[in-house]
Amino acid sequence: MERNKNIERKCKRFSARLKSSKGVSCVEYPCPNIVLCNVGQATGFTKEDVYKLVEDLKTVNIQKFIAEKGESHSFLVFEDTNSAAEFYHTSNGKAKVRNGTTIFMNYVQSVPNDEITCTDGIPKGLSILPDFISHDEEQKYINLFDWTTEANLKNRQVKHYGYEFRYGSNDVDLNSPLPESIPDECNMLWERLKTFGFDIETPDQLTVNKYCPGQGIPSHVDRHSPFSDTILSLSLGSDVVMDWRHHSNKYVPVVVPSRSMLVMQNEARYDWQHGIQPRTWDPVIDIRKSSDGQTERVITGDTKPRDTRISLTFRKTREGPCQCQFKTLCDRGTVEGELSDDLASHLEELHVHQVYEQIAGHFSTTRHKRWPRVDEFLHSVSPGAVLLDLGAGNGKNILNRNDILQIAGERSSGLLLECAGHTQSIPGAQCVRLDLLHTPLRDECADAIICIAVIHHLSSAARRRQAVSTISRLLRPGGRALITVWAKDQSKSNYLAQNKENHDTNLVTMVGGLNLPVHENRTQFRHSDLLVPWKLRKVEDKKPLKTSDTFLRYYHVFEEGELVQLCEMPHLEIESSFYEEGNWCVVCKKR
Amino acid sequence: MKLITHNMLTSKCLKGVVTGYPLAINATNIKVTEVDFNPEFISRIIPKLDWEVLWRAADSIGHSDGLPQTIEPKFEENSDFLKKAHKVLLEVEIEEGNLVCPESGRRFPISKGIPNMLLTEAEVQ
Repeated sequence: MERNKNIERKCKRFSARLKSSKGVSCVEYPCPNIVLCNVGQATGFTKEDVYKLVEDLKTVNIQKFIAEKGESHSFLVFEDTNSAAEFYHTSNGKAKVRNGTTIFMNYVQSVPNDEITCTDGIPKGLSILPDFISHDEEQKYINLFDWTTEANLKNRQVKHYGYEFRYGSNDVDLNSPLPESIPDECNMLWERLKTFGFDIETPDQLTVNKYCPGQGIPSHVDRHSPFSDTILSLSLGSDVVMDWRHHSNKYVPVVVPSRSMLVMQNEARYDWQHGIQPRTWDPVIDIRKSSDGQTERVITGDTKPRDTRISLTFRKTREGPCQCQFKTLCDRGTVEGELSDDLASHLEELHVHQVYEQIAGHFSTTRHKRWPRVDEFLHSVSPGAVLLDLGAGNGKNILNRNDILQIAGERSSGLLLECAGHTQSIPGAQCVRLDLLHTPLRDECADAIICIAVIHHLSSAARRRQAVSTISRLLRPGGRALITVWAKDQSKSNYLAQNKENHDTNLVTMVGGLNLPVHENRTQFRHSDLLVPWKLRKVEDKKPLKTSDTFLRYYHVFEEGELVQLCEMPHLEIESSFYEEGNWCVVCKKR
Repeated sequence: MKLITHNMLTSKCLKGVVTGYPLAINATNIKVTEVDFNPEFISRIIPKLDWEVLWRAADSIGHSDGLPQTIEPKFEENSDFLKKAHKVLLEVEIEEGNLVCPESGRRFPISKGIPNMLLTEAEVQ
C-alpha cells in the first residue's frame, strides 16, 4: 500500500511538470492514451522497448507509439480504454527499461499529431504491380545480380546491361553497346506484363542498382530523349518509400514493395521526379479515406527498417529529340545532351569556384613543382614578351624572370592571394582576378599564353570551345599557347594507386536534376564528366575526416584527340600535341 | 596594379560595352617601390603598349612628371627616358582604388594591388 502511494505521488509530480513545461494535460480517469513520463526519444527509448513492455500482456493492444524528437517523455495509444488500463495497472511504477529506469505514467487527454497527410493523388501513368514475381523468382534474380565479390559496400553499386548509362549526360551511347545484353532470365517479365495489360516494347537497357540501408537516390527524372515512354523498375529484397514530386509542388510518397513491378508512363515518366531518401528506415504510409471521400496518404510516425534492396530499371533506348507533351522537364531543346549555358555556369559555380575558394590554402601547399613541358615552354618565351597565365592558381608557373611581363589571371581569390605572395618579388609579374571565359584583356595583347589544368573544369563543350577561342583572341599573330587538360586515360601516369578499384557509383544530385558520379580517387576514370573529391586535411591535424571536409570538384576528363579537336580553329595552328603525366597537352600558334 | 597591366585591361566583356578602353583609374592608395631596371625589357615592351593611354593613366594619378606624351624615334637609346618609363610601368603601383568602365561606369575594385575584374552572369555579353 505504502509503495502504491509512493508511485502515485511520483506520477502526480510528473503530471504537474508535464503540464507546466510541456503543456501536456494528464487526466485522473482511464482513457486509451497514456503518457510515459520519464522515457522518450531523448532517453533512447524506442519502439522495440515498447514491444518488450507488452510482450507478456496478451490482451493489451497498442495502436501507436509517439516519441517526439528531443523529448524525455513519450505517448502510447491503445486500442481501447480497457487495454490502456491493463497496461497502466501492470506497469506503472513497476516496468523497467533496459538501463533499469522504472517507468512512470499517466493517462492523457490527447496525444500530439506526428502524421503528415498528403492529399495529392498518385501520378498519372504510375502503376505498381505488387507480388509481380514470387519469392522463389525474387531469390533467383537476387542471385543473378548480387555482387557478393564486392567488398566495399560504401557506395550504391550499379551495373549496366545492353548499353552503359552515362551519368554525365544521363543517356547512353547507341554506337557502343555493351558486350552483355539484358539477361535472358528477364524475358518472362515482358510476357507477364502482358497479362497485366501492359504490351510494351522490349527493353534493351538495364541498370541494376544495389542499395544498402541508408543509401538512396536523389530526386530525378529519367532523361526524355534517350529513352522511350515506358520505364520499368523491378524491386528485390526490401520495400522502400519512393518520393514523387511534381513541379507544381505536388508530393506523393509511394510504397514500392519488394517483388513489385513499377511501371512509369505518361505524366509519371515525363513530368514527375522520383527519388529515395538516404535512410535506414522508411515511414509507414497509411492510405485512408478523408471525410469527403478522397484518398489520403498519411506518413505516420511509425517506421519500418530497410533491408538491402536491388532494383532493376529497364529502359528502351530511342533516337532523336523527345516528342512528349510535357515541356517542363523535357530535354528536347538541349543539343546532344549538352548542358545549357546557365546550367553549366551554375554547376561550375558550385563545384569549381566555391570549392577552390574553400580548399585554396591546402590546395596551394600541394602545388609546387612545375611540369617539365610547361617549364620548357615558359623558358622558350623570348625577352620582352607578354605572357598570360590563365588559371594561374597559386602562381607556381610564374617564372622568376625580369625580362618579360607575366600576368597571372585567376578566379579564386584564395589562390590569387597565394599567387600574389609568391610573385611579390618578381618585377614584371601582376595578379588579376578574372574569369577565363570573360577575360578582361585586349585582343592580341599576348605573345604567349599558358592555360594549365583549367579547361577541364568547364562543363559544356561550348564553354570549353569558348575558352580556346578566348586564348586565340588574346594571342598576337605568331604568338603561342600551351594548353593542358586532365586525360581520361590515366594508365600511363602515376595517378593510379595499385590494387584500387573504381566504383564511381555514389551519385550526387547537381543542378537541374543532373546527376554526376563521384570519382574514387587514384583510380582509372570511367566517365568523362564527374566529380572528384578533394579531402581537406591540415598537415598537423591527424583527426579522422568528416564529410564536411570533402569537397567535390567538377571535371570533364579528355579523350585522346579531344583537345586537338577543340583547338581546331581558323586562326590557330597546332604545333604539337602530347601526353604528359596524365594530361593531354597542345601547343598552338596564332596565324 | 601596375600601369603596364592597366594598359591591357578592358571592360569590353560587359553587356552593351563596345570598346571598354581605357579604364579610368580612381586611386586611393599609390605605392612606389624600387624595382631592378632592365633597359632591354623596357625598350622591347614599349612598342607593345598604347603609349598615349599609358601617359594619360600616369597623368591621372599624378605620375606623368617628365614623361613625354609621345614616343620619340630611337627612344631605346635614351636611357633617361627608359628609366622614367621603367618607373611608371613597374614601380608605381595602385594598391587600393577602382578601375572604371568608360562607357558603363561599372567599377572594378583594386585591393592589395589586385584588380578584381570578375563579372556577374547578368553583366556579360
